Amino acid sequence: MTDMEYKERLIASVKKEVKQLMEEAVTRKFVHEESGSVVSLCAAVEACLSQGLRRRALGLFKTSSTTALLHKVAKNCPEAAHISQKVQEIENSDPNKRSSSSSDSVTKPTITKKGSTTSMSTISGGTSTTPPVVKYLWIRLALFEKRLAKIIDHLVTNAVNYYDKDSLVADPDYGSILSSLLVGPCALEFSRAKTPDYFWSDPHADELVQRHRISSGNISNPSCGRPIINFKRSLNASSDDVNGASFKSNSSVSAAKDYVESLHQNARATLLYGKNNVLVLPKDVNEAMPGYLSLHQNVQSLTIKWTPNQLMNGYNESQESKDKSSYWNYALNINVEEIVYVHCHQNRGEDTGGTVILVGQDGVQQPPIHFPEGGHMAAFLSCLETGLLPHGQLDPPLWSQRGIGKLFSWPQKHKKRVLSSVLENLEANDENIPIDYVFRVVNKGNHQEFLATHQILDIGKTSPRRVQLSSCSTNESSDGSSKSMSLDQAPIDNQKLEPQNKTASIALVCSTMRRQIISRAFYGWLAYCRHLSTVRTHLSGLVNGRITPNGDASEGLTKDRWLELHEDGIIKNEEEVYRLVYYGGVQHEIRKDVWPYLLGHYQFGQTQQEKEELDDSTKHYYETTMSEWLAVEAIIRQKDKEKTAMAVAKLSSGSGSGDKNKDPNHFEIEDDDDDDDYLMENDVFEEDNDSSARIETEEKKIFEEPMTKKPNKSSTDSGNVPDDTDIVDTDEQKQIIETESEDAVGGNNILLNSKDTSPSTPSSYQTVENDYFDYFIDGTTSCPEIPTPMEGIEKFASIEDIAMKINDDDDDSLQQTASVIVTNASIDISNFDMDNSNGDETKNDMSPVQEECNTGLDALQEPKSACVSPASSNGGVYSTELLDSFGLNLHRIDKDVQRCDRNYWYFANENLDKLRNVICTYVWEHLDVGYMQGMCDLVAPLLVIFDDESLSYGCFCKLMERMIENFPSGGAMDMHFANMRSLIQILDSEMYELMDAHGDYTHFYFCYRWFLLDFKRELVYTDVFQTWEIIWAAKYVASSHFVLFLALALLETYRDIILSNSMDFTDVIKFFNEMAERHNMVSVLELARNLVLQLQTLIENK
Amino acid sequence: MATRKKSLLKVIILGDSSVGKTSLMNQYVNKRFSTQYKATIGADFLTKEVVVDDRVVTMQIWDTAGQERFQSLGVAFYRGADCCVLVYDVTAPNSFKNLDSWRDEFLIQAGPRDPEHFPFVVLGNKVDLENRQVSTRRAQQWAQSKNDIPYYETSAKEGRNVEQAFQTIAKNALAQEAEVELYNEFPDKIRVQSDGNRNGNSDNCQC
Repeated sequence: MTDMEYKERLIASVKKEVKQLMEEAVTRKFVHEESGSVVSLCAAVEACLSQGLRRRALGLFKTSSTTALLHKVAKNCPEAAHISQKVQEIENSDPNKRSSSSSDSVTKPTITKKGSTTSMSTISGGTSTTPPVVKYLWIRLALFEKRLAKIIDHLVTNAVNYYDKDSLVADPDYGSILSSLLVGPCALEFSRAKTPDYFWSDPHADELVQRHRISSGNISNPSCGRPIINFKRSLNASSDDVNGASFKSNSSVSAAKDYVESLHQNARATLLYGKNNVLVLPKDVNEAMPGYLSLHQNVQSLTIKWTPNQLMNGYNESQESKDKSSYWNYALNINVEEIVYVHCHQNRGEDTGGTVILVGQDGVQQPPIHFPEGGHMAAFLSCLETGLLPHGQLDPPLWSQRGIGKLFSWPQKHKKRVLSSVLENLEANDENIPIDYVFRVVNKGNHQEFLATHQILDIGKTSPRRVQLSSCSTNESSDGSSKSMSLDQAPIDNQKLEPQNKTASIALVCSTMRRQIISRAFYGWLAYCRHLSTVRTHLSGLVNGRITPNGDASEGLTKDRWLELHEDGIIKNEEEVYRLVYYGGVQHEIRKDVWPYLLGHYQFGQTQQEKEELDDSTKHYYETTMSEWLAVEAIIRQKDKEKTAMAVAKLSSGSGSGDKNKDPNHFEIEDDDDDDDYLMENDVFEEDNDSSARIETEEKKIFEEPMTKKPNKSSTDSGNVPDDTDIVDTDEQKQIIETESEDAVGGNNILLNSKDTSPSTPSSYQTVENDYFDYFIDGTTSCPEIPTPMEGIEKFASIEDIAMKINDDDDDSLQQTASVIVTNASIDISNFDMDNSNGDETKNDMSPVQEECNTGLDALQEPKSACVSPASSNGGVYSTELLDSFGLNLHRIDKDVQRCDRNYWYFANENLDKLRNVICTYVWEHLDVGYMQGMCDLVAPLLVIFDDESLSYGCFCKLMERMIENFPSGGAMDMHFANMRSLIQILDSEMYELMDAHGDYTHFYFCYRWFLLDFKRELVYTDVFQTWEIIWAAKYVASSHFVLFLALALLETYRDIILSNSMDFTDVIKFFNEMAERHNMVSVLELARNLVLQLQTLIENK
Repeated sequence: MATRKKSLLKVIILGDSSVGKTSLMNQYVNKRFSTQYKATIGADFLTKEVVVDDRVVTMQIWDTAGQERFQSLGVAFYRGADCCVLVYDVTAPNSFKNLDSWRDEFLIQAGPRDPEHFPFVVLGNKVDLENRQVSTRRAQQWAQSKNDIPYYETSAKEGRNVEQAFQTIAKNALAQEAEVELYNEFPDKIRVQSDGNRNGNSDNCQC
């Protein structure tokens, strides 16, 4: 690379970085000192300056670093001298750093105190790939001090002294380009404070909880948020004010920082007026405090803000932040729209500059604002008047023209009004003119208000925002109503006003106040009524109207109580059971007995005998169903096996891709792109048919007879299936193919593949007999009979054995399989028809991924109903679609079952197979729904309690009646989210505001797992048991949506952490994922019950 | 949220269930492998600070549920993604075949500005297992055909290639971010306004 190219690239990189930095500055309004763009820019500049630097120019002992160069030029260039001095100060301030003096890349700037050092170390601590250093110290400093361009300019001008002739800096073009490029960045303001970016190194949930414990220990009042909220309301701050929202999270540095930033002119709001050292005497404070007064205008409103100096001046988190945070209570944030009167006083005591008191439409006085001397009050008022235009004005107007505004020139009708004002008078500070004034703020936007301008007695205007605000706040009317507006000290010393006018005006003021107080009370009451009606209409459905008392139920349902409740083996008092469970859960020993009642599997009032009958029929049903799907599973296994064998054969014959096939276990699937479905093996069969490599078609005749007797049009993909199945379709020829796989993997196969002659249709039918399964039984138990329901557990265990054998792909079971070759080939015609007619109607949009294999799911319905008894199950016919869809489900179930709670003792052994059986049975029965992730988690606790498959299955079906709606196929989840939103709005308005401010997490997805699994993943097993039974009982005692209150209780348990960290959607998700299985469920449950009670009371109190 | 912090990169991990998404994420962030992970329900994420091109950025890695049916949840999580990681299991041909639909689904739901050039990374996981069924060549071919997606073969169990893969992910995500930022600010505002106008018009029509 030539020198020119290199220089070109150096300059280009500087250009790029400058551009980047400027963009950042434009988009973010400020650039953080630690910003990556700053680092990159410094690096680029460093590279330019290093190029062609003459070593000798720096003296004997200096390294060739640019820092040395800086110190060198310091003699001739004042800017460089300044920076050089700073660099030395920093290096000297830290003795450890001395050794690194004059080297560029190791010095940590201590000037940026906690701001940079802490953030830098946390960042580098996480990565450890780069050393924790602040690079390019002097360039940084020069940039921040806005002197970099000057220094570079100096270097360029005097390049002869320091640089080689062909260096970049010495180059006439590049040199000047470099210095001029840096002019822009040198004009930027760099911020040192932590920006929200740096909160991204999120603390772990533990740390947050820990921190909260520490901080809440210090604060005497745990609900420290409340007074601030009240304060905010009393100031009528608009709820859409972003600053207001962040404002309340008073302990957050970022919020404070944002707030201070917002006081400056920015894109959102125009700064109309700003004055420092304006004194305000907040209530509860003895001495007036100086602070920064500002007037902001944005699109909707005009806002007056006052911030104590303590908050303005370099907000420093290390200094007694607790002390500082109290100042937030004093800050003012007043929406001018809410202000009705502006009282001005002058010359009262030592207050020479003037005092302004703002009075809200609710009659509440703001703390007096004392201006310093020098016409600041007048300036403020005129700015206020300007800000009100064009839709509002001060009444009477300030007179800007000299002479017109003299008091005596007021029309007589205005004399009623206490005062009037003149700018000149204020400025002149004339002893003889009135010094106290009251202005009315008139808003022309409000029609009524404008008409009423000339009537002094008006009721408070109704701003729509106010109504809206009050409708969502519980204690709207409570605050401030006791504070009556303090009587404005009327101008007693006003010489020019006649006495009766004075008394009249005082009377007027009094009556105005009275009316305002009354109207305020009225509006408060109205708001409360509206609020309650909202609660009633929207949330009354969530809780039961009747409040069931706790009584002595806190112990829960103990064994003794449970036995007491039995009368002749029958439980009659179900209310009592529910009540006890709701308030205290169930004693662990009797859960097995109680749960089926709670879930509705057993009915209260059933006798022991009835229960046993129910158990038997459940078991029978369960076993029958299981035998069905086990048979299907065998076919699926077989197919999989064949497919694998095919793949092997294909690979070994194909040998085209030999390089990766060194061992036979290492398969490659080199199929075409259009072969989308791994489970649909039509192409494989066809291919094999053509090659006739292994498939014998000798048994074709077996099926021919039944087929011709009752032929079917089986082209399910035509989309137009004729109802009349008697039509003989001559094209249709069923082939029964017995495939025999002779390869090493399998033994003989019995897969019957009745194949459609049309090669493109996937409508081949596979027939399997249920005595095929029966044979398994024979093989293992040597009993030719189908297991009858009564035979109970031993027989059942044998089924399991077989299932396990199948699972294991045991050679023995394959051997048995081989000998099962169909003996009874009768096709269940009714099933067959159903398959056909239903095949196309059911398109389950299960997934975008596997949609094609889900057609014909309803085919299952028929075998299900037709095979309730084993006797009738001879000759089940299963379509490929059915096989494929169940195969897919099996595959997923296997994957999830293996992963389900394997660290819990119960599932450490073969109990996982029981779990699998229950789920497979459910899925087989509900194949239209299919397996969905999460079902395992719902079955597991049931199985742990019952340790009985059929009972677990029965209860699981009951449980799923409610839960299924939460899964993506149902609509309950969105409903839950909407209800959560309303509940939070009603019961915790502060939290609601936070969520509203972070618009992003109004969708409540952090609750998703809670609702989907009834909190199963959030809790440890013992808590899951208790929580679940309480949820079930709550339906009858308090609320059928108890999960909502549990969710709310969880949220409320950590509300202070969420609020004080101003967590957004992602933070909340992370927090709760980290807190999983670590909640104190006893208190959460208690809180949830209280919340229900709270809402019940709210609704009841009409 | 209009000017999202540049230093935050949002990465979404997608792929069939039990291909090892959670394991990969935890291996990368915590350098741990566990056999105890359960099927992911809903979504979870971990963050990690990384240095890319001399910049410190925070990667927010989102782990999602593997069952396609839960994709409807996706919209909330996919939004604002800077990179999408597609994972398949080299011992499960099906999980490889489904990559196409995962990719399409992501593009539909996330709706990135420039779908053609949105950064994806493909990971073939579980290479530590014996019974491999999808060849490197096949996977590479697929990745190349989709606009040259970078492809890595990883083992979350042994930590093989995980670091390298995520470094590429961070790099590509950052490149994407930078590009988007350039376009971002102003067009957004215009679009918002035009939305408002349209609403206003429709209101007028009804009157």
